[in-house]
Amino acid sequence: MNKNIFRKTVSERLRPTVVYCVGILAYMLMLTAVYPTYRKLLTAKSELLKNYPKGLLQLFGVKSINASSFSNYITLELFGFIWIIIIAAFVIAFARNMVSGELHEGTLELLMAQPVPRWKILTSEGAAMLAGIVSFVVVTVVGIIAFGSAFASSAGMSYAGFAAFLPVGICLALAIAGYSVLFSVLIDDPKLVVMTSVGLTLFFYVLHFAGVFSKIVNKVDWFGIFHYWDPMGVIEKGSVPLKSVLILLAFAAVGFSLAIWAFQRKDIK
Amino acid sequence: MAGASEQGVALTSKVISTESLTKLYGRVVGVKDLDLEVEEGEVFGFLGPNGAGKTTTIRLLMGLMRPSTGSARVMGLDAWKDSVAVKEKVGYLPGDAALYEKMTGEAHVKFVASFCRDASQVETAGYDLASLLELELERKVHGYSKGMKQKLAIVLALMKKPPLIIMDEPTNALDPLTQKVLYDILNERREEGATILFSSHNLPEVERIANRVGIVRKGTLVGTERIEDLRGMRLRNVEVIFEGDVPADLDLERVPGVSGVERLGNRLQLKLRGDINPLLKIVARYDVADFSVSHASLEDVFLEFYKLEPPGDLASAGNPVPPAEGGGDE
Repeated sequence: MNKNIFRKTVSERLRPTVVYCVGILAYMLMLTAVYPTYRKLLTAKSELLKNYPKGLLQLFGVKSINASSFSNYITLELFGFIWIIIIAAFVIAFARNMVSGELHEGTLELLMAQPVPRWKILTSEGAAMLAGIVSFVVVTVVGIIAFGSAFASSAGMSYAGFAAFLPVGICLALAIAGYSVLFSVLIDDPKLVVMTSVGLTLFFYVLHFAGVFSKIVNKVDWFGIFHYWDPMGVIEKGSVPLKSVLILLAFAAVGFSLAIWAFQRKDIK
Repeated sequence: MAGASEQGVALTSKVISTESLTKLYGRVVGVKDLDLEVEEGEVFGFLGPNGAGKTTTIRLLMGLMRPSTGSARVMGLDAWKDSVAVKEKVGYLPGDAALYEKMTGEAHVKFVASFCRDASQVETAGYDLASLLELELERKVHGYSKGMKQKLAIVLALMKKPPLIIMDEPTNALDPLTQKVLYDILNERREEGATILFSSHNLPEVERIANRVGIVRKGTLVGTERIEDLRGMRLRNVEVIFEGDVPADLDLERVPGVSGVERLGNRLQLKLRGDINPLLKIVARYDVADFSVSHASLEDVFLEFYKLEPPGDLASAGNPVPPAEGGGDE
């Protein structure tokens, strides 16, 4: 890793990272503010949820209809869908700027005129991305605990569960980052990088969705990253699912390795 | 830097050498079978129209692109395989240099200097260069004009005082006064022993600062010549205006060195290489209203020397330019 490139990338991405963090905090604050009302309507909502298709509830990680605790409520409302969209947007935007974005802006030539091996350029920017991801996930978890304790009820707050969520959330983001960075190296047009990365993320999500309803698709669901994404289970159990974390890390490692391999050979036109 | 070619230059070893260097973009030719040698201490002007292959060649030398076939060596190192070592020895100015818009000029200087072993010295040299070029480093780049961006890119390329300077269209967007400052800086660097390769389509610029020139057309190096040798060819443009139409019996075929004859009413235009007296003797037999002679430009000399058609024919010459994302002026 080259610390100068790391610092430059962190400095460049600091503002968007802060914006994403403030955004997720604001959203969580809104969810927390709604929680008391939600609790009052819990009985009616539980009845309503019972009528939801089982597959749909599974898709959003709702194994039991129990939102009586703030932990369950926030997990249900946040990690099923919205958080995935936000973290995917953060990671894909970051990856887009790494090679394709710099190539498009023309700054890659300036960077590559410096005596630094190509793999170091990519790993330094990747390290900056990792720092951003960790910051975002930590802010999410700290925000939940802080808002939950301050404005909702700390009763039933699964501290161990949220601690266990940290590595899982980071690894999901890294898995998305792995293929997004690869696309950023392979595709010169930044818009196409975003479209391809979003497309593949959606494909994995839909694959997981379809796997809930179709036994045939379910057999290939393991191929997608969301097969290993079960925030409700992680927070309820309070333990890190080692197998899922390792597989998500493997997705990330394969993506980054291929990206480095391709970048070593890429013509900078 | 006028007179660089007249000054003695100690040529000792090859700083740049390419052998059958070829870069293809699919079926499109970037450069083909390019054999180029630049000696230590030379100022080599790489001349050619847009799309000729100058930027492609420079990117191959900088290890930004891998040759399809052939090889490029810079200071004895393979430009692709040893590109990191090459970049330690080269100050590179890209064509249409792009910079980080949200960073200040000063942050750029610090960033590039941080890659050097003697970072603080390089940084100081950067500030000195910026001062010479009258560039404000405190502002963010998005507030810079095109000329200011070019000045900053020049500072970044030269501040580590590299033994080899490679510049792609260095005077792009620079006003004449700044061009003069740049020529002086390059002259100083050459006197300190640096080798300079720069591309240009600006012929007076090449004549002014280079001591050897290579012309590239359609991806091929047409030839390389010393500037003095080209000037020594004494190619002139001659225009004669007769009192009446150009005489039909005017026999120019007997005049040695005449070429490119054009007759337009009472106006005769031609190029003449060598002694002018035989032409004067023949023309003097007729009533002449006006007679003017001018020294041909380097381009004319080159076109004449290599018997080339004038540029501007590239698009129709079966040499499609590289794809749009090829960047640069190529």
